[in-house]
Amino acid sequence: MVALDLKNIHFSYGKGSFIHDLTMTADEGGFIGLIGVNGSGKSTVLKLAAGILKPQSGAVDLRGRPIGCYKGKERARLISYLPQILSFNIPLRVKEFIAMGFYPHDRLPGTSLDDALEITGLQGKKNSYMAELSGGERKRAYIAMTLIQGADILLMDEPLANLDIKYQIELIKLLRTLKDEKGITVIMALHDINMMFQFDVLHVINRGQLAASGAPREIMTGELLEKTFDIDFKTFKKMYFFGQSDKNSKNRYFSLRDVSIFHRTME
Amino acid sequence: MGNVKPEKRTDMNKKGITALVFLTLLIFTSSVFIGPKLIDPFRMDKVAREIIISIRLPRIIISILVGAALGSSGAILQGMLRNPLADPYILGLSSGSALMAVVSLLFDNIFFGLFTLPMLAFLGAIAAGAAVGALGQKKGNLLPERLLLAGVGLGFLFSAALMLVMSLSTDEGLRRATFWLFGDLSMADWTLVPYGIAFILLGFGLSLWRAKALNALMLGDEVAYSLGFSPSKERWVLFLAVGLMTASSVSLGGVVGFIGLLVPHIIRSFVGSDNRILIPMSALAGGALLCAADTIGRTVVAPNELPAGVITAIIGAPYFLYLLKKKDLLGVS
Repeated sequence: MVALDLKNIHFSYGKGSFIHDLTMTADEGGFIGLIGVNGSGKSTVLKLAAGILKPQSGAVDLRGRPIGCYKGKERARLISYLPQILSFNIPLRVKEFIAMGFYPHDRLPGTSLDDALEITGLQGKKNSYMAELSGGERKRAYIAMTLIQGADILLMDEPLANLDIKYQIELIKLLRTLKDEKGITVIMALHDINMMFQFDVLHVINRGQLAASGAPREIMTGELLEKTFDIDFKTFKKMYFFGQSDKNSKNRYFSLRDVSIFHRTME
Repeated sequence: MGNVKPEKRTDMNKKGITALVFLTLLIFTSSVFIGPKLIDPFRMDKVAREIIISIRLPRIIISILVGAALGSSGAILQGMLRNPLADPYILGLSSGSALMAVVSLLFDNIFFGLFTLPMLAFLGAIAAGAAVGALGQKKGNLLPERLLLAGVGLGFLFSAALMLVMSLSTDEGLRRATFWLFGDLSMADWTLVPYGIAFILLGFGLSLWRAKALNALMLGDEVAYSLGFSPSKERWVLFLAVGLMTASSVSLGGVVGFIGLLVPHIIRSFVGSDNRILIPMSALAGGALLCAADTIGRTVVAPNELPAGVITAIIGAPYFLYLLKKKDLLGVS
């Protein structure tokens, strides 16, 4: 079943078109990465998917119905959005802030405040003010709120950026568990290519268009990397993988996966 | 502050709230008996009863209404505009109101008798509010920064017009106008009470109803949206609530400073920033403070009066500065 369906989306912020004819689907229970360089349109695509931005043409369907048809609370229980830029002058204590994830619910949802604090390692900070947190802690507080909100579809804009490696790994693990146990759908923008193998499906966004889409190991060729990230693949290989390479397939990034530090940590 | 256990903090909240409620009741009762003529509650004659019922009670009720409207409007605007410097007057409603009120004073209330000033002041505020709303929106979406700037800009325009009118006026009119501009409750009268109650309760009810949405708006529009709120719609409702409360308060009591800006900060330092508690508590504290200030203002230099707005600032500002030094006022250490 399709959780989220973006059909022939055109969008512009005023001058010139920014997203052109983008069609993208997210299956129920999908674990999807959205990759691309700065300014490629990842964040815009997520905001369109969340319904925050309205496309000039095309449609966004949430579980088969246009996203605009849902009532606020009903929508908030189905889909949540974690922005990339997090507001820091919030005059609330951490636990008050995180508890706002309960707002769309009339009854208490599955994740308790203590669970959310525990998972994000913020137990000791629950009485601190949001303004007292470090950048990474603030990010974790937002993630804790998202967990309490407990929507079926999570749209997350660069949740891994600014996080200590421990919490990057923990977050991916946690989301995978939620996906396996509760069948949630995750769509996450990222630009750390070391992380891309953690996703079942990758959508590569380049200049407002879908450049490729599929399982990371199938689509991630050196050529696509060069094109998407505007880099020279040979230099890239040397810098990221200490000069090691796989003789059998020269151009395929995935063949290098055993050398990737991240990948070994995760498996 | 960071180490306070949650249970302890909730206790502190409850204690603080109870103390505030008691203090308000105390101020309310004592202000009935204190005034230019001190009344002994156990030995009231007919004159004393008459003074209380037809002069003091309406004035006390109006002072509480006006103070409550200002305190809660300030709390709402600081959250909605995400700006600790916001107060009910920043939107220019008070300047529009002041202009009309002063015109009415200078031309000696010729139109509708006693009702002229409050009515013109209310209309002035509503007109200013409509103009600020129209200028502060873009494609139907009320934008916080734009709203602030529109309010400040229009405020300057109205103030200039006000100065112009005042500089052309006579001495007696000028004295009354100046008095009104600092907050003047001497026109309080039973006939005004129902209007005050209706508009202020309507605005207050709207803001309590949307307090959760206001909490969400403090996190930014995108997160508020993600939590199921429509930021644009919520801001219009809150703007309407603030507009109604500010317009009625200015039309009833003139421009009372301090309460709208600093009372919410003082209350925030005790109960935190959850608007479901902050708004009613700021209302209560604002009402109590203005009632106390007005009682002092009409007593100490009797038979003359001091404007209530001056007293609120004289009592409130030093206390605020003390808190600023002692506590982390804005949730920032």
